[in-house]
Amino acid sequence: MKKRHHAVVRITHWVNVVALTIMVGSGLRIFNAYPAFARRGETFCCYPFERKPIPASLTFGGWLAGARNWHFAMMWVLVVNGLVYLGFVYTHGEWRDLVPRRGIVRDAWEMVRFYVTVRKDHPRQGKHNALQRLVYFSFPIVGALAVITGIAIWKPVQLAWLTNLMGGYVWARYWHFLAMLLLVALTFGHVFMVFAVDPYSMVAMVTGNYKERWSPEERNARPFVHLLPQPEQPNSPSP
Amino acid sequence: MSEPRPPRPPLSHLAERFAIDRRRFLMASGGALGAAVLAACDSMGPKSAARLLRFAERKNESLERVLFRHTSMDVPAAGAKAAGSHFPAYFISKHVPVWDEATRGVWRLQVGGMVQRPLSLSLADLASLPRTGYRLDHFCVEGWTAVATRTGVALADLARLAGVQPGAQYVDFESFDDDYHESWDIDSAMHPQTLVVYAQDGHYLNAAWGAPARIYSPVKIGYKNTKYLTRIMFLPRRTGGYWSDQGYEWYGGV
Repeated sequence: MKKRHHAVVRITHWVNVVALTIMVGSGLRIFNAYPAFARRGETFCCYPFERKPIPASLTFGGWLAGARNWHFAMMWVLVVNGLVYLGFVYTHGEWRDLVPRRGIVRDAWEMVRFYVTVRKDHPRQGKHNALQRLVYFSFPIVGALAVITGIAIWKPVQLAWLTNLMGGYVWARYWHFLAMLLLVALTFGHVFMVFAVDPYSMVAMVTGNYKERWSPEERNARPFVHLLPQPEQPNSPSP
Repeated sequence: MSEPRPPRPPLSHLAERFAIDRRRFLMASGGALGAAVLAACDSMGPKSAARLLRFAERKNESLERVLFRHTSMDVPAAGAKAAGSHFPAYFISKHVPVWDEATRGVWRLQVGGMVQRPLSLSLADLASLPRTGYRLDHFCVEGWTAVATRTGVALADLARLAGVQPGAQYVDFESFDDDYHESWDIDSAMHPQTLVVYAQDGHYLNAAWGAPARIYSPVKIGYKNTKYLTRIMFLPRRTGGYWSDQGYEWYGGV
């Protein structure tokens, strides 16, 4: 039994699940009040689904004011939680397992080759493989973009310099929406891989514990292949 | 030399059992999470959260007040087209509110409350006061924006004319659109771009846009800007508002 995730990482991970879910749900409810980007009397180049609301079942908050109240409260949970996580990862040196390192493109390519069965054995690339590193490293960056674009549309007059940096209110709103889509896409990829490749990582993210023989490397696991752990092997002849 | 034989310590048994429990655990937690998500969909969230949300709103207001500057001015993008006739009309009455002179007499704007000289101004009086106009963004709470040129009298000028007393920390803007009103903090009301507007895009307001006069400021979200204005009251405490009493942020700053 190995300790895989520190309590701070586990707690911030699950707080983030709740906060992000509420932020996305309430954000979509806010978006539905005007599911478009164009300024009145203008057209907008880059959103093909103007005027088509998001299905209500994917939204949270019940109505515009409810959604706004949730959004503007939960944003603090999201930001503080994110800062605690980043602060911990930085001071405890965990960032070394997360930042891209030399050869990441080649390593990522090896992972892709393995998943499409060109390569037979699971590459061994440390605590997280190259694809995981790319996702886990992008996540806080896209999250920060979501926060900054969010501030830009919250205070477009008092913090006009920030909103102008984003190309104005209409574009800031668009970037905020795209950042949300990217976060959702990364989350879906992450959750899919957890269930399809490494369900035991769920235990690790709850209890913190992990066993080497549960790992995808030991199981040679591709999505939905070799999900069960290796039986324990005798490691040395008994005297 | 002995044959290697698989040792089966009790710990490993536990681990195997744990592996099955783990699957159950995953399914149970997945199911619970799914149920929670389904239950939460399109809901307003738990009732008990209401107090927390109000607390967050008050904290946000404090922060917004700290950020607030009279020198932060709204400047619409140079290339932005004026909304013109695309500017949405909005009111809470069943029909477009129109001031009926036959039953109510000539429309006048009252300025009262904590002032040394209460004012009562006709549209002609307003139009003869020093004129302020800006090309401004309109930030609707729904998320859309629209550009229009607003012309009228700076509220700060009216406040000087009326002699507002120092204890007046809030301003309430009343209307003849049913009981629509919204109250503001005095700081936002005295922003140089806060105007008593009587003309939009160079023409006197039409009934759909709040004639004869309305409040407009880019430092407040659309719903804070009372149309069909009748009375401006300088007050010692806040008096809520039509939308802020229903759950929208009272401060509604931009």
